[in-house]
Amino acid sequence: MDATLISLGLNPMPAKIISMVIICLIVLIAFVTIGGVLTVVERRISGFMQARLGPNRVGPQGSLQWLADGIKLILKEDLIPDGADRTLFKIAPYFCLIGVFGTMVVFPWGSGVMVADLNVGLFYFISITALVVFGVLMAGWSSNNKWSLLGGMRAAAQIVSYEIPVGMGLLVPILFSGTLSMGGIMAVQGWAPWEWIVFQSPFTVMSFCIFFIGSLAEANRTPFDLPEAESELVSGYCTEYTGFRYAVFFLSEWANLFVLGGLTTAVFLGGGNLPDFLADYTFLSVLVYMAKVSVIIFVVIWLRWTLPRFRIDQLMNLSWKYLLPGAFVAFLGQAIYMLITQHIPAVQTTVAVLMFLVFVFILIRFFIRVRVNMREQQIPVNSPASDVPLT
Amino acid sequence: MMGAYFQNIKNGFTTVFEGMSITFATMFVRKETVQYPEVDITSNKTIAEKYKGSLMGMPDNYRGVLILENGLCTACQICQRTCPIDCIAIENAKCDKTKPTDKDGKPVLNRFTQKEAIKTRALTRFDINIAKCMFCGLCEAACPTGAIHHTKQFEMNRECQEDLVLRFVSDGEKEIAVKRAEEIEAEAEAKKAAKAEKEKEAKEKEEQEKGAEE
Repeated sequence: MDATLISLGLNPMPAKIISMVIICLIVLIAFVTIGGVLTVVERRISGFMQARLGPNRVGPQGSLQWLADGIKLILKEDLIPDGADRTLFKIAPYFCLIGVFGTMVVFPWGSGVMVADLNVGLFYFISITALVVFGVLMAGWSSNNKWSLLGGMRAAAQIVSYEIPVGMGLLVPILFSGTLSMGGIMAVQGWAPWEWIVFQSPFTVMSFCIFFIGSLAEANRTPFDLPEAESELVSGYCTEYTGFRYAVFFLSEWANLFVLGGLTTAVFLGGGNLPDFLADYTFLSVLVYMAKVSVIIFVVIWLRWTLPRFRIDQLMNLSWKYLLPGAFVAFLGQAIYMLITQHIPAVQTTVAVLMFLVFVFILIRFFIRVRVNMREQQIPVNSPASDVPLT
Repeated sequence: MMGAYFQNIKNGFTTVFEGMSITFATMFVRKETVQYPEVDITSNKTIAEKYKGSLMGMPDNYRGVLILENGLCTACQICQRTCPIDCIAIENAKCDKTKPTDKDGKPVLNRFTQKEAIKTRALTRFDINIAKCMFCGLCEAACPTGAIHHTKQFEMNRECQEDLVLRFVSDGEKEIAVKRAEEIEAEAEAKKAAKAEKEKEAKEKEEQEKGAEE
């Protein structure tokens, strides 16, 4: 873009700055829009899963609900509670926002479409998202409210604990690709599912599961949304927040959901890779990437409306007793597996295809189960026991 | 010890698998939501049949919006006097003596005396202010012919308060009743005059006869 601006007669330096600002604005607006739209998507899906309709009044099928919500939140009064630490209270939401939006620097929108392909991209990714915990803890501390404080403390304990399994889980793809750059990790994968990192060996599947569960907890998604557990802590760290600051918290939460999906897709699910004969179509690559991200986001939302919330001790149990040892086993196992099979690519391919077939088999089993459940749900609630078939 | 550990992991995955299949199935099964004010829930048969809950409606003794059966009303004004908050306004005029009948054409009995109800006055105004009404049911209990009673209707949102005043006598009916009352009045006047003349004549005759006897 700066080349175009230079050709229009601008000096190289201002041209660079202007093009950077434009790119930043595009990505920022894209993130805000995605974060907003995801709130509606989540509410619609949750409605469907509970046999409701969800918001469907504003715009066609409720598609403009997020704009209405945003306008409503911006118009509300910005309250700061008595006795609150005003400075911390005011800046806390922006820490969350920066923590999530900082990732857009290395966010891969498809193969070759990113703002900057840092050679420490993945490292940057997991370190900048750690800023969120500062924001949450600051919000909890500064609100002068016991619920908020409890929420903030829980968030700190939870995010710090789960950062370790997430980091360990990411070590396996790093081991496989030998690079920390997002572009590099995407480049070692192919377009076909058995060329994705997730299906390379049993250990990569394991690390994928650990990474996925851990990042759910890091993004404060149910079943790990203890920091804002509605039934216990009213609204956790955002209890005292109103208006625009509350909207910022929510925006960062849903943008985080998108970031989670994006990272998972890029690292484990082959990013936006296309078959060789389509490699020139960047737009198609972005589409493929977005489709994969949407599937991951759907799974996350789906999990939220399936599972009940963990208790805080169960949460710690899961992290330290199950995920962390599992991550170690996956890391060591993958290292040994790669050492043994490094000169026999045939074995690697066979194992990868086999893992993919196992996944397909599980998927088929799953849909059979779904059909059974669908039939069961069509039986009216009030029907006598004799009418209900045994499954 | 180790067995329980792996059993936990297995349970974790299988229960999540089953739970997710249930929620996924629910996504595609019928929605239970009925978008109420837009959908007529009481007369829509497809909803009534498919609905899992109860669409039986209100119980029999539910006190909803008041309704008046003009044919039964004798304009006795008992309901107006019974109403503790004066939400009923009645005006009436004389009319021909009739016996009100119900839908089957049978004469209506007075509920308290068990005699046939007789209508001597016609309504020229019967307004019920639903905004004021507190749905106590006293008017229904007091009505001798059962003309006024509560319905099961509970949807009474209107655009403005004026719309909440239910008018059971239209302007046309009022005009007819008033005209008829004037006619009856005139007839009665004429009858009275005729009767008075007759009496006068009779008196005169008597006096004449008396005079003749003397």
